[in-house]
Amino acid sequence: MTSMYIYYFGLLLFIAGAIIPLIYPQKMKRFAYIFPTVGACAFAAFGMYLLFDHPLDISAVSITPLLGFVFRGDAISGFFILLISILTFSVSVYSMGYTKNMANKGVMGVLFNTFILSMYAVILSGNVITFLISWETMSIISYLLVTFDREEESASAGLLYAIMTHVGTAFILTAFLLLYKYTGHMDFAGIKEATNDIPAGIKTIVFVFAVIGFGTKAGIVPLHTWLPRAHPAAPSNISSLMSGVMIKTGIYGILRIVVDILGVGPEWWGIAIIVIGAMSAVLGILYALTENDMKRFLAYSSIENIGIILLGIGASMVLASNGLHTLSAIAMTAGLYHTLNHTLFKGLLFLGAGSVVHATHSKNMEEMGGLIKLMPYTAFFFLIGSVSICALPLFNGFVSEWLTFQALLFDFKSASAVAKLIAPMSGAALAFTGAMAIACFVKVFGISFLGMPRSQHAENAKETSTSMLAGMGFLSLFCLLTGIFPGHTIKLFSSSVFLLTGADYSSSGMGILSMREISSSISPLSLFIVMISLFIAAVFLVRIFGGKRKITYGNSWDSGIPSLTSRMQYTATAFTNPIRVTFKKIYLSKRHTKVSYALKPYFAKAIEYRDDITPFFEKYIYQPVTDFIHSLAGKVKHLQSGDLHLYLGYILATLILLLIFWS
Amino acid sequence: MEKSFDLSLVNDFISVGILLTAIALNTLERLESCVKAYTYNSWLLFLLILVPAVTTNNPHLYVAASLTLATKGIVIPLFLRKIVYQQKLVHQVQPYISNLLSLTLSGILITIVYASLSKGISVTGFSNHALKISIAVILIGLLIMITRRKAITMVVGLLFMENGLFLTGFSLTSGMPVIIELGILFDVLMCVIILGVFIIQIRHKFYSVDLDKSTTIHDQLTTLKG
Repeated sequence: MTSMYIYYFGLLLFIAGAIIPLIYPQKMKRFAYIFPTVGACAFAAFGMYLLFDHPLDISAVSITPLLGFVFRGDAISGFFILLISILTFSVSVYSMGYTKNMANKGVMGVLFNTFILSMYAVILSGNVITFLISWETMSIISYLLVTFDREEESASAGLLYAIMTHVGTAFILTAFLLLYKYTGHMDFAGIKEATNDIPAGIKTIVFVFAVIGFGTKAGIVPLHTWLPRAHPAAPSNISSLMSGVMIKTGIYGILRIVVDILGVGPEWWGIAIIVIGAMSAVLGILYALTENDMKRFLAYSSIENIGIILLGIGASMVLASNGLHTLSAIAMTAGLYHTLNHTLFKGLLFLGAGSVVHATHSKNMEEMGGLIKLMPYTAFFFLIGSVSICALPLFNGFVSEWLTFQALLFDFKSASAVAKLIAPMSGAALAFTGAMAIACFVKVFGISFLGMPRSQHAENAKETSTSMLAGMGFLSLFCLLTGIFPGHTIKLFSSSVFLLTGADYSSSGMGILSMREISSSISPLSLFIVMISLFIAAVFLVRIFGGKRKITYGNSWDSGIPSLTSRMQYTATAFTNPIRVTFKKIYLSKRHTKVSYALKPYFAKAIEYRDDITPFFEKYIYQPVTDFIHSLAGKVKHLQSGDLHLYLGYILATLILLLIFWS
Repeated sequence: MEKSFDLSLVNDFISVGILLTAIALNTLERLESCVKAYTYNSWLLFLLILVPAVTTNNPHLYVAASLTLATKGIVIPLFLRKIVYQQKLVHQVQPYISNLLSLTLSGILITIVYASLSKGISVTGFSNHALKISIAVILIGLLIMITRRKAITMVVGLLFMENGLFLTGFSLTSGMPVIIELGILFDVLMCVIILGVFIIQIRHKFYSVDLDKSTTIHDQLTTLKG
């Protein structure tokens, strides 16, 4: 029962946090972020309880005897509750400093708290109605947050987001209605019990619709267009929440409906998920590479990471349909581990980007540079996030990507040739993604933090406030901890893996990840210890044998040119040029070079260079659809002529038709 | 027994009268005649309620009948006549379509109503014919609203529809509770007064009561939006 009290305590804190900023005194508005900080701790405890203990029914209001708000928690929801809580805690701490000079602080506080509450509600929903209401609430509040700064660009991004998310909801609604029609249950537990009544064809339709609907929220590739526009438009603390946890609700939906409720399906379901995952990962990172807007870049990177998560989940589904349940559990562990990791490091990176944007007043990397000297702590945390997301050892990304590779390699054990073919190909895609991710983050970190300041704003940047650093530091710590203690982390959510796959994967040892099935193992903890001791040894050796050295400071080597200017540096565009040339066919890029000469052909006065990539999906899929809808709407518009008589005529025609056909 | 047979026949006659006044509306050229047609229509409605009131000696029906006469038969027509007289220049109806076409359409409407209601509807009230007629009157009222240009003819069309609705209710239930009828009558009265005020306002603002020109408001709004 204590868990219930913890739950209500957390709930109360968030509600208080939502109401307090409405009260007038400016001083009270601080509490909008203090309350959720405590509330997040309470919910984290609640999530842990769900992960370790038994599922929990939370009594709630009923609308009618048939339908009611039902909240229900089990290990799967516990895992996602924990994710949301960890990020909420850090973002709340961060927001105390971040929102200090923000306009409409009170509104921000209300939306912030209700947004988090709505995400909790989505995860804890026990039946279809509760889920849909929470889902829509989440969408609407996030729309309000995307358009929070009331600029034209945010408004159009928000519109795109609203349309996409509602199309997604339409698919989800259809999937739910089909489930209801064939099982006669509205609550998820009842549907799950009655899934055997659903014919296979209907199951497939539900699968496809659920993947499209939840995939829209998660940002899988053909449905991703809203993500790189909406996430950057929101204030950075919100972008962090959106990228860190909101898109994970899409993953949660896929897990809940496809894996948990529909259960083990035909093999091609898993293969479809793998293909979607590989496509999202590759295209996401390729588009990220060309992006010079820092936050938009991170949003594209989120698409890539959603792809990696889906690779793990898809591999798990393939293995499950081949009856290899233990291997399936390992693959699911990989997927969930990467979900956790992405929450941590993408949340961290968005907070870091928020600090940078806050300090330089620009999202464009080409206007930054040299920030490591001005904002050393932010740079350090951003570096930790980058290293984690690039899956370098010691940090968490390494563990989950390693697991995902193993999971994909397991797919060889499945029976069908298609799965055997897909497995190495998706593994190659993942490897490619990893390489590109490194290129991407070298570019982001190098261009914005290293070198010389490229603009006035970057020169005057200042280190951000303590609370913002604390928020980032907390996430960085988690990135490190989950990176060197993978065994503990996996044990933490092994109950949700068990619930999803019916099998258990417990790796042996403290810091060692080992798999008995293929006898491969790795120990990030010992790697960590080895690296630390090597470092210390190196320092000692230098001290002992190096003798005394004098440190002199001088300017960088400048090839004899009188002074270095920031314009001599690599630009972000130049840095990625080789990759853009290599993947010309994917980018469909158009280059324009214009040279004006002082004396042809030796003395160029100015060279103008432009390289535009064609966003394939926007141009060849979304644009035609939009045009079609516009032309259709133009035709329908004639119905609404503004002529009163015509409107009355419609009524008369309807009445007559009813009279004729109804009687 | 003989008396009740007489009664239903009388009622059918009155109903037909109501339908005829509605049909006549199609051919009337002047606004005053339209108002007059409505007056006759209301009086016939009053009679229709009065007959069962006398035969069954039901005090409820007496009240309903007298209220109908007072509002629909006297107050509203007088008010409408006043509005018509205030329009100094043109007292012509100016329909969109010719009277002949209007009449033909009314005929088609009546045919549809009779054809579609001939089966499947059991009437608990006093007359099956009254029900059909009442629906025909509603549709003709709507037709008048659609095909006439002026605001006041639209009001007349609306009032015919309302009378038709009243007749429908009456034919199905032989008199609703007084309090409901009272409410409806009051509503209609208020509605006409408000519409009258609107007509006068429209004329002041747009120098015309021709609703054709109200589309310009819509156009202006769309250009503003665009």
